[in-house]
Amino acid sequence: MTMRYIIRMRGEKLAPVLVGLAVLLAACGTSSPTTTTGSTLVFGAAVSLTGAQSKEGGLTKQGYDLWLDWINTRGGIVVNNVKHPVQIKYEDDQSNPNLSATLVQKLITDEKAQFILGPYGSAATATDAIIAEKNAIPMVEANGAAQAIFNKGYKYTFGVLSPANKYLTGVLDMAATLSPKPTTIAMLTANDNFSVEVAKAVEDYAPTVGMQVVFSKKYPAAAPDVSGLISQAKQANPDIVMNSGHLAESIAINKAAKQLGLNAKIFAYSVGPSTPDFISALGADANYVVDGSQWTPQVKYKPSFYLSVSDYVKAYKQKYSSSEPPDYHVAESTAACLAFQKAMENAGSLDPSKVRDALASLDVITFFGEIKFDSRGINTFKPMVVEQIQNGIHYTVFPSDVANGRPQYPTPPWSSR
Amino acid sequence: MSQFTQQVILGLLLGGVYVAVALGFSLVWGILNIVNLAHGALVIVGAYITWDLFTRLHIDPFLSLPVDALALFVIGYALQRGVINRVIRAPLLFTFLLTFGINLVIVSLLLLLFTADFRSVTPSYSGSGLQLGSITIPYIRLGGLLVALVLAGVLWAILNRTRVGAAILAVGADRDAAQLVGVDLRHIYALTFAIGAAFAGVAGGIISTFQSITPTAGDPYTLQAFAVVILGGLGRVSATVAGGLAFGLIEVLGQSAPGLGSGYANAIAFVVLVMVLIVRPRGLLGRLA
Repeated sequence: MTMRYIIRMRGEKLAPVLVGLAVLLAACGTSSPTTTTGSTLVFGAAVSLTGAQSKEGGLTKQGYDLWLDWINTRGGIVVNNVKHPVQIKYEDDQSNPNLSATLVQKLITDEKAQFILGPYGSAATATDAIIAEKNAIPMVEANGAAQAIFNKGYKYTFGVLSPANKYLTGVLDMAATLSPKPTTIAMLTANDNFSVEVAKAVEDYAPTVGMQVVFSKKYPAAAPDVSGLISQAKQANPDIVMNSGHLAESIAINKAAKQLGLNAKIFAYSVGPSTPDFISALGADANYVVDGSQWTPQVKYKPSFYLSVSDYVKAYKQKYSSSEPPDYHVAESTAACLAFQKAMENAGSLDPSKVRDALASLDVITFFGEIKFDSRGINTFKPMVVEQIQNGIHYTVFPSDVANGRPQYPTPPWSSR
Repeated sequence: MSQFTQQVILGLLLGGVYVAVALGFSLVWGILNIVNLAHGALVIVGAYITWDLFTRLHIDPFLSLPVDALALFVIGYALQRGVINRVIRAPLLFTFLLTFGINLVIVSLLLLLFTADFRSVTPSYSGSGLQLGSITIPYIRLGGLLVALVLAGVLWAILNRTRVGAAILAVGADRDAAQLVGVDLRHIYALTFAIGAAFAGVAGGIISTFQSITPTAGDPYTLQAFAVVILGGLGRVSATVAGGLAFGLIEVLGQSAPGLGSGYANAIAFVVLVMVLIVRPRGLLGRLA
């Protein structure tokens, strides 16, 4: 029986499986004779391993694999006293949202995936959600924050991450506590679903904390050159420069701001600064930049199962031989797996509709924060944190109860850095 | 008013990048009749060379441009002689397929070599610029424009002042006649492609200074080069320069269009492109023949 699982696993997965086997045998020999080993659970995931989002897709896979090792070391997910080892089948969506949906269907029909882990990005998640719904197979996703995904009444899609509208409002909350208080905002927005939602939320929220959006422009997603926009934003002389876009654009905007001498008290970018790439690409110019983050390695949550925050960071560094701690894309992806695990344990069943119901009523604290879904399937219960790059290191600076640093404010002008 | 001037200057600076990217593309298309879909990938190879030399040996990005040119010249020559030459007289669709495939191979190789991490070249002077009243001209971008214009001059000189250039033009005009008068076709084909690749490499070096680079960052540039060549007109260096500068201007001014326009800067640029083609089907400076 056990031999079959070893053969099924791919080469790279063999080591953890052997460890898992050892644990399993030990367990069988001693304590719980009632726990038996059941069928292997097959998860499917179409992530971007090539193409424009291969970086983020790779981080997503890292997060999934980190949990996969952990759970298989323990013999699998325990459902009704039966341990089910886990396998994740991957497909590469080549950063193409339409291809993503096709691949998810293939994972379900050809690869017999019983459950779906989400892809990277809101666009791909939105198309995959349709497939999950059609097949009545639960999908837990960790990298699609656009609320548009959840506003269609789907019953089988759940997102563990905070929704798009929370990404930059935390930065405004923080800014409101600073002195002298910044009051004007220039908002630059990539023309995609997620980024537009983030920007819209800022425009709605700013007046409630006594701030005003004085400049707001969209640019085509993945625009290589933004200098025209930056020079216009400079005319508005804003206290806060915000970008709602992705990593490539946040780097381009930071570079253009320096080249054109756009000085602001706060530079805040929705996505990008949390990745190590942002610092390595920009060097000292990355300092003072803040971003809204789903999670940081410094947060202080008290998880009820899986690893503590520090053990998670340790496990990540060990598995990927990395000196850098995991960024939030990795953590949220792991959290998606945890939601599935807990829901299956709670449901005591592998029946897709029962697991779906268990997901809908899930409420747990993990290293990633609280996971609990509202009626649409969005985790609106976990806050975003604000982090700032100070001397090339990420510090969590807001909210103060989970922070490990204080915001450096205001950002000095480029000429005196 | 000064804001408008600033936008025009930024448009011309961006246009300079497009000129650099499109020169090689236009040459290969005009002479070999190959629409090289791997052009953007070659651009990014140049960008990675500049990045590598900058991070490892601290060589100034502008000083590494000749290295980019040389490396891409060799790669381009080998690529044409070894692979592309086999479909040189095949229908256009075959060359599309082949260069599309080469594009995928190069991007995947870059992904293996450099991973998908975002890279960027940030020399110490990257934030400084000429300050003329309220107008800022970043040195890096100015340097990029100057390099593009020098490249255009070099290409013009090669084509019009050297024997090799005469041979290249002859091949472009009539392959069979050129062969009859003793031009080594295979060598000239490869040489033309190599020059195109070398120019792409230099363009990549420039791009690495103002944009973050990833293995796929070149894809939009293939499209831009295509648009620039159509806009300016095929087969003349001056046409590519005019097309590139015009396209940069249109894009930046499109960004500052009032209302919702900015999100559709690309769409605006291509609408203008279509309108130009309606009025002047051979491009702004296209040849009549």
